[in-house]
Amino acid sequence: MPFFMLIVRNLLRQRIRSLLTALGISIGITTVVALGVVTHSVKATAAEILRAGGADFAIGQSGSSDLTFSTLTSEQLGEIEAYPGVEHAIGVLMVISPLGSNPYFVQLGIEPADLAHFEVPLLEGRALAAGATDEILLGREASRQLGKGVGDTVELRDRRFTVVGIYRTGNVWEDGGGMLPLATVQEYERKRGLMTLIYVRAKPGIDLAQLTARIEQDHPELATLRTLSDYSDVDQGMQLMDALNLAISFLAVFIGGIGVMNTMVMSVFERTREIGILRAVGWRQRRVLQMVLGESILLCVIGALIGSTLAVIFTRVILIFPVVRSFLALEYTPDVFIRGLAVGVAVALLGALYPAIRAVRLSPIQAIRYE
Amino acid sequence: MNRDRIAIDVQDVVKTYEEGRIHALNGATLQVSEGEFVAITGPSGCGKSTLLHLIGALDRPDSGRIVVNGVDLAHMRDLSHYRSHRVGLVFQLHNLLPTLSASANVQLPMYEAQLSFWERRAKAQRLLEAVGLADRAATPPTKLSGGERQRVAIARALANDPPILLADEPTGNLDSKSGQLVLDLLRRIQRERGVTLVLVTHDAQIASAAERIVRMLDGRVVDAGVAPTKAARLPAEGE
Ligand SMILES: Nc1ncnc2c1ncn2[C@@H]1O[C@H](COP(=O)(O)OP(=O)(O)OP(=O)(O)O)[C@@H](O)[C@H]1O
Ligand SMILES: [Mg+2]
Repeated sequence: MPFFMLIVRNLLRQRIRSLLTALGISIGITTVVALGVVTHSVKATAAEILRAGGADFAIGQSGSSDLTFSTLTSEQLGEIEAYPGVEHAIGVLMVISPLGSNPYFVQLGIEPADLAHFEVPLLEGRALAAGATDEILLGREASRQLGKGVGDTVELRDRRFTVVGIYRTGNVWEDGGGMLPLATVQEYERKRGLMTLIYVRAKPGIDLAQLTARIEQDHPELATLRTLSDYSDVDQGMQLMDALNLAISFLAVFIGGIGVMNTMVMSVFERTREIGILRAVGWRQRRVLQMVLGESILLCVIGALIGSTLAVIFTRVILIFPVVRSFLALEYTPDVFIRGLAVGVAVALLGALYPAIRAVRLSPIQAIRYE
Repeated sequence: MNRDRIAIDVQDVVKTYEEGRIHALNGATLQVSEGEFVAITGPSGCGKSTLLHLIGALDRPDSGRIVVNGVDLAHMRDLSHYRSHRVGLVFQLHNLLPTLSASANVQLPMYEAQLSFWERRAKAQRLLEAVGLADRAATPPTKLSGGERQRVAIARALANDPPILLADEPTGNLDSKSGQLVLDLLRRIQRERGVTLVLVTHDAQIASAAERIVRMLDGRVVDAGVAPTKAARLPAEGE
């Protein structure tokens, strides 16, 4: 019998106990993986926002606790536009407020003239007209959910807007939201002359790393944002999610570890005599260790597989709610599952530590005499 | 195998338990020649099992020396290798792992030998054939009779072809017929393979099958039996 099969056999001896232990572990891993998938997906969506409209990078206010709290002025926009490497810079005011069934309707206020440089793939209709104050472009998802098409009117913040075009960028927040004239949004948000982000397109051949470094050096109050990690640096919500994720991972390891320890201690104690026989027929301590750790790791890998499967099912199920669908586009990346597996192995090692030491320390004679 | 060479040399071995209050062995001394069949007898509690366990390196003596094939066990670097390859142990009870098949039980010591899965399986099959259980390879011990279990245990003891076989009352729990079968098997193995066989027994009739009977009392060997001479031993093959 291959050594691995011996390990499988040992787990199968107490099927119910093994299964329950694996299920216990899987709960923690479900949480870790599901939260990981959601966090990653939200971050990925957020990172897409930084490159919206075909921008090379975005600029926000450094140290703002949440990206939407970032406040920039027209003067700052002018200064950025003045950089020789900048092809054009577009100021955008981002506001989130409920509309219809969507509690997170994202409104991008943008100068209609800037839309010429801001790449928005229109599916229907036309862009915002210059000087218009009551026009709106709707994302395709928003248009669907609201049941509004080109020519219809939408009521938002006690104002009526005419839908002039439908666009689709592929980003859930943008497609679930709308674009309005900057001045209008500034007015109803009472943020005259202010914006949230500046989207920058660099001149061809410009070294982006150099340009962003220059800007940050000249303007310590500004943060240039190109990647996911840049985003997490300015958005404390993301940092909070990361911290929560880490905390839950530790909790899962700890709780799972206790469960595994309980099972493995019982299993090793029950097999005191057997382990003694194995030592008596010449098994090395290392092999006994391999056996006990192998059983524990196998148990936890099964738990991780169950947990990952449950996490996928769970995250799929929450998408049934349109509210969730309007701000969450799921992305399953391998590293989330690898993290789940890593948590599983950590649980296995933590849980097996004490029982393994007990097993290895059994002297063959103690075990043979043991009644 | 060389009958003039000492296989097992136990010198003045003391073993106590419970912080010295129980003297299991009290200066036991014993020599066994290579290929010899020795029976150890004595009243319950006189230290027979203890002595066998010490020779099998399952435990260490408090004092005294145990030298096996010229090597002092106290100085042996790799006791696991000694247990898996130099001696084979058969106990009275609880020998086998109840959930594993007979074949898997026989294979247990082979995990410490450099054998592939197929080699292990084939060798276990050969050994089970040798003890007359070729057709029971897949059967777990719970479905075997006491005598069959002991035969599986003997096959396992031979897994890595050890030159020494130590059996602690292997027939103790068997009826006389299956006990006789196990005894015959052990004797055949001793003769055919040239294995040194040390057998602990209460049973005078079983002991009488040995080439020499050693008597123990209160942790000592009180009668080492007739010293092994050419005349005393049974003719081995090829002699
Ligand atoms: N682990 C132990 N702890 C305490 N006392 C022990 C231990 N092992 C053996 N003894 C004691 O040592 C003495 C010798 O025991 P041992 O098992 O060697 O005797 P034995 O000759 O094999 O007896 P039996 O014929 O009943 O099997 C006994 O008094 C026994 O109670
Ligand atoms: Mg005994």
